[in-house]
Amino acid sequence: MILTSLSLAEIRSLVAAKELKAEEVVRVFLERIEHSEPAIAAFLSVEGEKALDQARAIDRKKDKGSLAGVPIAIKDNILVRGMRTTCGSKILENFIAPYSATVIERLASEDAIFIGKTNLDEFAMGSSTENSAFFVTRNPWDLGRVPGGSSGGSAAAVSAGEAAAALGSDTGGSVRQPAAFCGVVGLKPTYGRVSRFGLVAFASSLDQIGPLTRTVEDCALLTKIICGPDGRDSTLADQPVPDFPADMKERLSPFKAGYLGEKRLEGIDPDVKDLYGKALGILENLGGELVEMDFPSWEYALACYYIIAPSEASSNLARYDGVRYGFRDPSYATLREMYLNTRTRGFGQEVKRRIILGTFALSSGYYDAYYLKAGRTRGLVSREFEQAFERIDYLVTPTTPEPAFPIGAKPDPISMYLSDVFTVSANLAGLPALSLPCGLSRGGIPVGLQVIGRPFQEDRLFKLAFSIEKKVKFKNNRDTINWKEDP
Amino acid sequence: MKPSLDIDHICALAHLRLSEDEKRILEPQMAEIVKWIGKLDEVQLPIPSEGPDSHLLFPLPLRPDDIRPSQPLETALLNAPEKAGPFIKVPKVIEEK
Repeated sequence: MILTSLSLAEIRSLVAAKELKAEEVVRVFLERIEHSEPAIAAFLSVEGEKALDQARAIDRKKDKGSLAGVPIAIKDNILVRGMRTTCGSKILENFIAPYSATVIERLASEDAIFIGKTNLDEFAMGSSTENSAFFVTRNPWDLGRVPGGSSGGSAAAVSAGEAAAALGSDTGGSVRQPAAFCGVVGLKPTYGRVSRFGLVAFASSLDQIGPLTRTVEDCALLTKIICGPDGRDSTLADQPVPDFPADMKERLSPFKAGYLGEKRLEGIDPDVKDLYGKALGILENLGGELVEMDFPSWEYALACYYIIAPSEASSNLARYDGVRYGFRDPSYATLREMYLNTRTRGFGQEVKRRIILGTFALSSGYYDAYYLKAGRTRGLVSREFEQAFERIDYLVTPTTPEPAFPIGAKPDPISMYLSDVFTVSANLAGLPALSLPCGLSRGGIPVGLQVIGRPFQEDRLFKLAFSIEKKVKFKNNRDTINWKEDP
Repeated sequence: MKPSLDIDHICALAHLRLSEDEKRILEPQMAEIVKWIGKLDEVQLPIPSEGPDSHLLFPLPLRPDDIRPSQPLETALLNAPEKAGPFIKVPKVIEEK
């Protein structure tokens, strides 16, 4: 039995039946981390002692929760009380979380174990994890390639068997794109589905917390646990939480799936295109009716996103001024100088680029031309989806235009921004979207398939994704690789 | 009006100071990015009453204005860069002429 390959339900049932101690589970994952971290570098901090203490407490408990003994990695922009939360930034290098995010409280109430905090692009701004202020995480499928981003550490940790599952955050594709690059499953829930209390804000009208897991079933289980009411996030919708893992196993009813025609696939990697075509074949085998769809507004979706997200970021990141928490540059004579020196030395280059862009888009004389126009274009994107979902039940697209690219291959910011071409629209419209592996490129790198659904219909996403997963039979074998012998 | 990003002005608004080296890198990059997002000029939008604007996409309900417990003082001060007793210490705000 390879413990790091077990599903969350399998680990839990072994721990609940006392066939395995939670402490033993944690030790196995810690050994795996020790073994593979020199190669992967997925974690900013590993909380071994705290995880073992948590495990021993769970072993002593009589009634164990539905995640008893399951080691989970947490993206380092989600607060876990008493743990360091850096957001991959020098400005928060020594920040200790004074409280836990709602999602953490929910996982803890089910006896999950927090094994460490994972690397990310600084303040979740990026698509490769190369923008972390600390180090670059490597893709377990090819150490010369990026794991994607911004939740690259979380995706790499799950893929390499360093954690049974992970949480990430998705503002423009930051859960789905790294999930696709690392051969794991990732969900961006509907906007308003999961509380963001305790998530460090990047772009508040777009941010959502989502799980990264080895299987669709694990993803459904984690989603069920992290959803639900929370008076501390006023954007949370009052929606019932279905039993996602049970519901997804029910028979798949006949469905209509939208797909993208040639025009929208122009310029994408040929292997991604081939595997997308094969995935559409699987949908037909599953009894789906395929409907070619076009979304003219997608032409502008990236431009729209790269106005709205930086604008909100420039406002959200104004709080990092060296006054109440985080880094304060010691050389200053006046308050204004303190702000300037702290922010100038505390933020990395991509964060500065986005703050500058956002401040520009919101500045006098440019607000209408950029921010207001982007807002109205966003309405157009949303309306096109509403009209599409009158004809179809799902929209199925590639998750990314290419598989994981080599580290350092995209020094130009715009070429990096183009990585988000298939993912940003779901954030702009607030829709749920899931990425699952649909095969390997000829170079042996995973490729992801994205399924987008109607608002608050995550249950239907899981059901279709579960059926696709069974047909694709994707095998993630990264947790058995000996990195020391296989550089 | 042809958009142009005056990087010194914007950095002053954003409380950022770029070194000459950083400015040499960022200034042309920002010009390219502004040109790229200018693609939005091509969008033909319906008159406002026909389509929702972004701020109408998601309802933002107000919560009741109730008093709620806040962080204890020692927790609030946990990450303060500089403190003096129960206070966060900052430089003098009123500057001498």
